[in-house]
Amino acid sequence: MNTKRNIAGWILTALLFVIAFITIVPFIWMLISSFAPNSEIVKVTGGLFPTPSTIENYVNIQEKFNFMRLFANSLFVAALKTIIAIYTSAVLGFVFSKMHFRGRDLLFGVVMSTMMIPWAVTIIPQYEMFTNWGLQDTYTSLVVPGLISAFGIFLFRQSIGGISDELIEAAKLDGASDTRIFHSIILPMSHNTIAALAIFTFLWNWEDYLWPFLMITDENKQLLAVGLKAFNGQYGTDYGGLFAATSLAIIPVIVVYMIFQKQFIAGIATGSGK
Amino acid sequence: MKNTKSSGSVLSKIFSLRNIAVTFLVVYFAVFLAYPIFKAFAGSLHDWNPLVGTYEWVGLANFAQILTDKLFWTSMLNTAIFAGVSTFFRIVLGLALALLLSSKIVKCKDSLRGLFYMPTITPLVAVSFVWMWMFDPQFGMIDRVTGLNINWLHDTKWAMPAIIIMTIWKDFGYATVLYLAGIMNLPRDVYEAASIDGANGVQTFFKITLPLLKSSTLFIVITSLISYLQAYVQFLVMTEGGPGTSTYTISYLIFDQAFQKYNFGVASAQAVVLFLFTGVLTLIMFKVSGDTDLS
Repeated sequence: MNTKRNIAGWILTALLFVIAFITIVPFIWMLISSFAPNSEIVKVTGGLFPTPSTIENYVNIQEKFNFMRLFANSLFVAALKTIIAIYTSAVLGFVFSKMHFRGRDLLFGVVMSTMMIPWAVTIIPQYEMFTNWGLQDTYTSLVVPGLISAFGIFLFRQSIGGISDELIEAAKLDGASDTRIFHSIILPMSHNTIAALAIFTFLWNWEDYLWPFLMITDENKQLLAVGLKAFNGQYGTDYGGLFAATSLAIIPVIVVYMIFQKQFIAGIATGSGK
Repeated sequence: MKNTKSSGSVLSKIFSLRNIAVTFLVVYFAVFLAYPIFKAFAGSLHDWNPLVGTYEWVGLANFAQILTDKLFWTSMLNTAIFAGVSTFFRIVLGLALALLLSSKIVKCKDSLRGLFYMPTITPLVAVSFVWMWMFDPQFGMIDRVTGLNINWLHDTKWAMPAIIIMTIWKDFGYATVLYLAGIMNLPRDVYEAASIDGANGVQTFFKITLPLLKSSTLFIVITSLISYLQAYVQFLVMTEGGPGTSTYTISYLIFDQAFQKYNFGVASAQAVVLFLFTGVLTLIMFKVSGDTDLS
C-alpha cells in the first residue's frame, strides 16, 4: 500500500513538473532568446527556441538606454517603499489589534474600504497636488503615496491578533513601553507576515508604471518599468536587446521571493486566518 | 487604554505610539485620499484641462457626454468580459493547483510552488512584453506550437482573448497561494469523520472542502474583480486599446483621457462612475455571500 502510494506520488509529482515547465516556457524562451542574435530570433524556420550563441545583447545593453542607472533607481525606490510600508503597517496592525480607543472599528473599516478605491479616482488630484508642490522629479513624490498600505495593515492586524495578550501584559508589568513592546516582541513574532508583505510590496513597487511615469520626467531619475516601455517603443526591432533587458528586469523580484519564500505561505495563512 | 508604568508623565502619554500612529493615519487619509476623492467629484462637474488652464463649472455635462459616448460603453463591456473571464479561470486553475499541491503524496512541493508562482512574482510590464513576442505571428511561440495562423494582438477578434490568456497565466498563482493558505487552516477532524462515513473524494470536495474555503474564494473574487476593473498596464503595453477599440477598458480609457488628452474633467467623471460601480459591486458580493468575516 505504501509503495503504491509512493509510486502514485512520484507520477503525480512528475506530471506537475511537466505542467510547471509549460508554465514557465515564456521565461525560458525569453532567456534563451536574450543570448541569440536578432537574425536568429526572427528566423521563421528551424526549432522553437533560437540558438543561443552570443552575450552581445547584454554587453550592449547600456548603449541604448541607461539601463544600470534605471535598475539602481528602481531597486532603491522599491526597497525603501517596501521597508516603510512594512513598518507603518506593523505599527498600525498592532494598534488596531491590541489597543482600544474610541472609533477604532470605524477607522479600521475606513482603512479596509480604501482598498476598493480605484487609482483612477485619486490619481488626477494627486498628480495636480504633487505638481503644485513642486515635487516632480523627486523621489519624495514616489515614496509619499506608499507610506500607508491598507493591505499591510489588514495582514498585520490578523497576525498580531493571534499573539497572546498575557505576553503583552507581562511585558507591561516589567515596565516596557508600547514602543518597546512593539519592537522587541511584536515585530520579531511577525516574521511570517513581514515576509509575505515584503514579497507583495516589493513586486508592486517594482512593477508600478503610471505614477513614476507621471512624476519623473528626468531620464536619469526614471524607474525601470517606465524606461523598459520607452526602450521597447524606440528600439522595437532590437529583439535581442529587449529580451536581455527584460530578463534582467525580473531578477530582483525573484531574488526577494527566494529570500522570503519559506515564511511566505505561513504569512498569508495567518493573515487570512479564520 | 491603561497607562503603563514607564509612561507616567503627561508628555509621554500624549506622544504614545498609539496616538502618533492614529494621528498620522488620519492626517494621511485626509490629505492623500479624502481630499483627492472630493476633488475628483468636484472636477467631474467642471470643464477641467490643465494644458489650457480651464476649470469651469459645467454641471453634469461631462456625465452626459460619457454616458452617450459609444467608446465608454464599449470599454465597460470589454472590462466586464476581461474581469469576469479572468477571475473565473484564476479561481478554477488556482484551486485545482492548490488541491494538487496540498496532496500528501506529492513531493518537492517547495520547488513546484516556486515554479508555478513565477509568473505571479514577475513584473507585469516585463511579462507583457514577453507575451507580445509570444503572440507574434512571425516568430512567436504560440502560433508555432499550436500551428494556428492568428495575428493575435492585431486582430479585433483575438486581441482581447490574447490579453486574457496572458492575464490568467500571470495571476493564477495568487489564487493558488491564497487557497493553499486556506487549505492549511482546514480542520482535520471533519475529513476524518467524512472518510469514516464513507464519503468519496468528489463528495468530500463539494460538501466539505468547497464550503469551508468559501471565505478564501470570496476574498479572491472580490480582490480580483477590483484589480481587474483597474487593470491598464497590459493594455497599455500590448495593444494601446486596439486594434480599433477592441481592447479599450474603462481604466485604459481613463488613462487615455487624463494623461494623453488631458481632459481631466471627463476623466474624473469616468473615474467617479468606475468608483460607484466598484462600490456597488463590492456591496453586492458581500450581500450575496452573507459573509462579512473578512474584516
